[in-house]
Amino acid sequence: MIEFKNVNKWFGKLHVLNHINLKIPKGEVLVICGPSGSGKSTLIRCINRLEKIQKGEIIVNNTLVHDKSINLTKLRGQIGFVFQQFHLYPHMTVLQNVMLAPVNVKKIAREKAEKIAMKKLDQVGLTGKSGSFPAQLSGGQQQRVAIARGLAMSPEIMLFDEPTSALDPEMIGEVLDVMVNLVSEGMTMCVVTHEMGFAKKVADRVLFMDEGKIIETGTPDDFFDNPKTDRAADFIGKILTH
Amino acid sequence: MMAFYFARLVEIFPFFLKGLWMTSKIAFISLVTCTLIGFALGMIRSGNNIILKRIVGIYVAFVRGTPFVVQIFIVFFILPEWGIQLEAFPAALLAMAIMGSAFICEIVAGGIDSISRGQWEAAASSGLTLVQQLRLIIVPQAMKVILPPLVGQYVLLIKDTSVVSVIGVMELTRVGWVTVVRIPEGLMVFSLVGALYFIISYPLILISNYLEQKMAV
Repeated sequence: MIEFKNVNKWFGKLHVLNHINLKIPKGEVLVICGPSGSGKSTLIRCINRLEKIQKGEIIVNNTLVHDKSINLTKLRGQIGFVFQQFHLYPHMTVLQNVMLAPVNVKKIAREKAEKIAMKKLDQVGLTGKSGSFPAQLSGGQQQRVAIARGLAMSPEIMLFDEPTSALDPEMIGEVLDVMVNLVSEGMTMCVVTHEMGFAKKVADRVLFMDEGKIIETGTPDDFFDNPKTDRAADFIGKILTH
Repeated sequence: MMAFYFARLVEIFPFFLKGLWMTSKIAFISLVTCTLIGFALGMIRSGNNIILKRIVGIYVAFVRGTPFVVQIFIVFFILPEWGIQLEAFPAALLAMAIMGSAFICEIVAGGIDSISRGQWEAAASSGLTLVQQLRLIIVPQAMKVILPPLVGQYVLLIKDTSVVSVIGVMELTRVGWVTVVRIPEGLMVFSLVGALYFIISYPLILISNYLEQKMAV
């Protein structure tokens, strides 16, 4: 479903993605972790072309992501993206936030789009907030709306860029619960996170990155309990004592 | 003597109204064209196309760095040498459009730049096209930042129409010049001219103040 073929990217002199080869089959839940600056966010941001790459190729559903001639709108419609800082549209209500893309990208009629949006809001447990503005919601609620917004396009893939890092601890659970439910629906997911509990519970595979390279991959149990590299062991030690 | 001149002034007051009408006409057309061009240029200026950005940047720098009178002279006296001959009225409109759009461009670009990159990325990630991103997400939010200085700029543009009197357009200021030759009471004549400008610009000043307060919240 998603394939990285020898992908390289530089920010100036910094080699942020260093010979990345990766295959993510349909339905897989992949957790990506690693120290900050290791390139994990950049990696998933390349999947929907928020970032350019300088070498190699990324293929999503037989589409060459960085080919200039592809229909980018169509590609992005298949991929939901959830940001660390939510990035809800502050001038629109919750419902308008969720309906926006179905109406304007998929050209779905308003009444129908509203039904879809309410269904997605129900899925994240926020139907009661449909008329609120983002600023009136807690961080956890905002992130759940952001997830509903991503789901409203009925994507095949959901990408999460540290979805709980900007949240107060007591709100992390509600967001992770929504994500766990998504897993049970068979969604293909790439999640950049340090939430070990989430990884152990639902991830099919954990990928550890450092300095732009994939250092090791494995099942969550293998990775967290028997890391193969010192760097991974060191990192796991740090998040455990954190 | 004073009373005599005042009576004369009242007599030719319709002439002033004509000037006011011409000023309003130039101002209104200019505000509309400057806004349209200014928004287009502002979007380019805050956009990603480096070449277009540069060109707009040079244009804005040139306009901001030269007096409006000089710009009018270029349009009215220099363009004809390159075969572009304009009557005074369209020349005035063109000069206003060039000058005003550059200032509005800067206001719009500043407003757009004030919106965080995350908003662009969220909109792009949902599959919105660049035009949709601007129309639905960026500009509606940027308007909060754009509107107060934009209305303030409108007031300046209305007053700047007085400069087009130098190429003979019979607007309010020109009417003042012509009148003062016959009624040599400069203070009286130009007080009237000033008062008439004030009547059209003051409502906008009030709106600008109101918007500034409202948007600051």
